[in-house]
Amino acid sequence: MSAPLAALSPRAVRAALPVAFLLLGALVLVSLAVGGFPPARIWAGLWQHDELGANVLWNLRLPRLLVAMLVGAALSASGLLMQAFFRNNLASPDLLGVASGGAAGAVIAIGAGWVSASLLALPVCAVLGSLVATGAVLLLARHGTGPERLLLAGVALNALLGAVTSYVLSNSAISYEANARVIFWLLGGLEDRTWEHVAMIAPVLLAAVLLWPLDRPMDLLSLGAAEAQSLGVEVRALRRRMLALATVMTALTTAVAGSVGFVGLVVPHLLRLLVGPEHRRLVPLALVGGAVFVLACDLLARIAGITHVGIVTSLVGAPFFLWLLRRQR
Amino acid sequence: MNALDLTAVTVPGRLAGVSLALAPGTFAGLIGPNGSGKSTLLRVAAGVLPGGGDISWGGRPLAVIPALERGRLAAWVPQEAHFEFGFTVAAVVAQGRFAHGDDGRGVVEALARFDLTALAERPVNRLSGGERQRVLLARALATGAPLQLWDEPFAALDPRHALEGLQLAGELARGGRTILFSLHDLRVAHCLDIVIVLHEGGLCAAGPPDKVLTAELLRDVFGVRARNAPGLILELP
Repeated sequence: MSAPLAALSPRAVRAALPVAFLLLGALVLVSLAVGGFPPARIWAGLWQHDELGANVLWNLRLPRLLVAMLVGAALSASGLLMQAFFRNNLASPDLLGVASGGAAGAVIAIGAGWVSASLLALPVCAVLGSLVATGAVLLLARHGTGPERLLLAGVALNALLGAVTSYVLSNSAISYEANARVIFWLLGGLEDRTWEHVAMIAPVLLAAVLLWPLDRPMDLLSLGAAEAQSLGVEVRALRRRMLALATVMTALTTAVAGSVGFVGLVVPHLLRLLVGPEHRRLVPLALVGGAVFVLACDLLARIAGITHVGIVTSLVGAPFFLWLLRRQR
Repeated sequence: MNALDLTAVTVPGRLAGVSLALAPGTFAGLIGPNGSGKSTLLRVAAGVLPGGGDISWGGRPLAVIPALERGRLAAWVPQEAHFEFGFTVAAVVAQGRFAHGDDGRGVVEALARFDLTALAERPVNRLSGGERQRVLLARALATGAPLQLWDEPFAALDPRHALEGLQLAGELARGGRTILFSLHDLRVAHCLDIVIVLHEGGLCAAGPPDKVLTAELLRDVFGVRARNAPGLILELP
């Protein structure tokens, strides 16, 4: 019908998605080129003129790049889904404990040594952990989804799941190597990601396709579940799908990169400020914008010599979150 | 064929076996003291709150009507709305066409009928209570649904907008729509076809206002004494 209220002009709003894609393209090129290895040899490697260059490009930089993009898209889309689901723009997988659930699942899988048995152990345990956390949030938020209630439920869950993780870490029965891997998850890393990790997080693409047609019903749901139902939305089915998508996407990011904080909160929120609340625009922008954000943070991390991207996303995201809290009416 | 049939509708602790039938084109008001079950009855009738008993719209059991078609057959206006996100007034009213494939028909007219044209581009989360109520009413009007269920639609409106809303509801009923809405202003009840009185979750009386609104009923249900006296009469110029 008409343009929603947005910080950008209607023309700029229409240009937002192409601009986001351009930004992503530029970041992809820079990410592939920048690093300890000379860009010229990467370029030669692209045409198979330099064996080592080709190796660095195809087996080091490209998998890392793809994992970063998919992690960003998945976390940002999860945040968007949860904000529409709970009708609360402070909801996000990390604040609600869904990411901690995935991390706890992953940590248990590593600590128990299941990871060496099967490649699937890590993503499966992460998804199970996230599902448990999602279920707990739903139970706690049953009698209202006011911001205080939701966030307090998240604080409690994060503390509980943090205790599970600490227990595994403090357990002297697990090996030093397993302990190091656990710490790696907790910090959120993209170092040494391989095509195995790309394969592990590739289902995010399928989730993104399934998310696409939900944009319009999400508009209605974000203004009230009963109202949406009376206007013709099948609310129960929609909410089940939204929660399943958000949980699985969050869990997969945890399985491949550990906890990468604040992406799910910051990216959808910032985009909503820029282009308004309509999901027809927000869904594609959240996917691309999330990829842009995590890729940019990873680039910053590599330049600054920080090994874990989760440190950068939180360093950027947490102050933004505090600014949002200040801005709330 | 009735527009709305409720048979022994029950919600534990709130409604006890309410049965009701409204013919198409009925302009009906739902009255009763606070907590008597008006909102619950409207929610169950609208299919947004599960309840025991049978509900039919236009002779069809609600259970067999798919969600999308329900959006075309009935509109429900909640008593209060909380908008978290800053959709524009026009965008929210356009949501009334969701079940019609978002064709946008009648949206401009609905905005105009509730005096929202000037507010069309304003974000809904920055409106006053009465303005929000008019947005919800305009969205219900935009659905074009033959059955309109409104929960205290005029409670937050100023006198002129309340009178205009009431006039519009009467027009819709004369045009064949069925309107059921809850209200507290019993002086308005006299312009309705039917008044339905709820008391402590049960149906107490239903019928033409002059038959139902007797001094005894007002005393027994509301605990007030009715008396005719000269007073302030408000009407549209």
